[in-house]
Amino acid sequence: MKNLMKLSVLGLLVVFLFTSCAKQPTQQIDETKAAISAVEAAQGNVYAKEELKKLNDDFNAAMDEVNAQSKKLFKKYGKAKEMLAKVKADAEAVKALIPARKEEAKNNALNAQNEAKAAFDEAKALLEKAPKGKGTKADIEAMKADLAGLEAQMSEVQASIDKEDYFGAKDKAVSIKEKANAIAEQVKAAIEKVKGKK
Amino acid sequence: MKLKAVVLGLVLLSLFSLFFIGQSCQTPPAPPEVKEALAQEQDLWRAGASIFAPKEYEAYRQHLDEARKFFNQEELKIGYFRDYGKVKEKFGHVLEEGNNLKNLMEVRKAQAAVEIRSKKNSLYERYQIFDSLSLDLTMRNFSRQHLAQADIMFKELDRLLAQANYEQAREKLKSIESFLNQAESILRKQLERYLDPAQIAAWKRLAEMAVQRSEETNSLLILVSKLDRKLTIYKGGKPIKTYEVGLGFNGLADKLHAGDEATPEGEYKVIKKFAPSKYGKALLINYPNEEDIKKFNEAKKRGIITPMTKIGGLIEIHGGGKDGLTSGCVALDDDEIEEVFKIIPVGTPVVIVGTTDQSNKAISVFKNGKKEQH
Repeated sequence: MKNLMKLSVLGLLVVFLFTSCAKQPTQQIDETKAAISAVEAAQGNVYAKEELKKLNDDFNAAMDEVNAQSKKLFKKYGKAKEMLAKVKADAEAVKALIPARKEEAKNNALNAQNEAKAAFDEAKALLEKAPKGKGTKADIEAMKADLAGLEAQMSEVQASIDKEDYFGAKDKAVSIKEKANAIAEQVKAAIEKVKGKK
Repeated sequence: MKLKAVVLGLVLLSLFSLFFIGQSCQTPPAPPEVKEALAQEQDLWRAGASIFAPKEYEAYRQHLDEARKFFNQEELKIGYFRDYGKVKEKFGHVLEEGNNLKNLMEVRKAQAAVEIRSKKNSLYERYQIFDSLSLDLTMRNFSRQHLAQADIMFKELDRLLAQANYEQAREKLKSIESFLNQAESILRKQLERYLDPAQIAAWKRLAEMAVQRSEETNSLLILVSKLDRKLTIYKGGKPIKTYEVGLGFNGLADKLHAGDEATPEGEYKVIKKFAPSKYGKALLINYPNEEDIKKFNEAKKRGIITPMTKIGGLIEIHGGGKDGLTSGCVALDDDEIEEVFKIIPVGTPVVIVGTTDQSNKAISVFKNGKKEQH
């Protein structure tokens, strides 16, 4: 009987050691946080917005599990650890996605910049060879000034690319292209006007 | 006896455990509201809740977190003791709050769209007026550079509005306004005379006196208003025909010397008719008159113009098209100069003024601009 009592006490002690003293997975928490911060640092809020939001939500859910377990007598952090490990792995996967997305955005911006430049150069060339007669002088002077404005905005596109604001750069470049095309059309109309009068 | 009691105890314990496990297995699944609420939160975030209703979204998130924590606590209990009724109730409240938040966001989004579009329209109106005014000025390149940049930003703004990106759209509006303000500041300097009530009153007096003389002598008169780009023929003090005209490269300025490409202001008369001339038919006026010569000499004395500068001449009302650009002449379309040429004899008075309108387009634009800046 005495032996049974001793065994029971020992058993309880073992259970106590393996449950009540189970520690919060702080190291894993810190590592997961660091993995999410790395995604943010890699401009995840620009190139992986949705994924970053999900990472934060999943991390919060994992922390809820950690907190819930910490209040229990028999603490089991197994599930929380699994959740944290998944968030960390997901964060690393998301971070790995970003360079490709960034590169794609950069290429789109550069293509748009090239197209804008080509449209600008075309308008400029047309303007240079446009007949500066009495009927077109006003239009041509106005369009020259407009092109000067476009040139200033072209440098803004480059500034945005340099700042890695690829979406902003692309939008601006597309707008410049539209305006440059409109100017080119105006120059052609002015040339036609002169031809018509001859 | 003791052994029997122990065995009985073990049997009872086993039965109780089996009952307990059985009950746990019968635990109903988590209420669907839990998943619905989590999906709703994602949708609200995607729709920009943190931008359009930050406080309400924060409160909603807090309530969702509380409900989630409660749910997690319940999940940790053995099935029999779980209270999904309360979980359902809590998530039900969260879903309701989320639906209200969605409606609130829709209202705020619509308000933001209306506010931004209205501001955009008002700025675009300013842009169009500046665009038109800048075409009348010799130093147009300075103002037009700013205007062209504003125009590009209007295009960017349209894209942001289409994406419902109101936050960046607001920023874009600020940049557009800044470009328009810079263009306005340049135009204001160049259009100072058209904003001066005393100058406008003087032009008005000049025009009224000429019209009165036309009435008294029942004679013809040509009145040109440069800002309005209008040429009106009067007979016996009554307007009989009005035409749109084109002016010089520096048309809104008062002519001072040869090559300034400005259109002169003052009282003149037709001194010769040319048919054909270089630009269709033409009526030559007597620029420079005595007043012009006096102004020119004073400018020379004060060193405003070099001693080598000449006063110029050969200012005509001619054809060639009102959409062209003259060197200071007043241009009409070819069919219109035909009409004028037929009606107007040599000797007809020609009065050229800046404007007679005290609330002209320059004034109305700049006054509005002032109000907005205040």
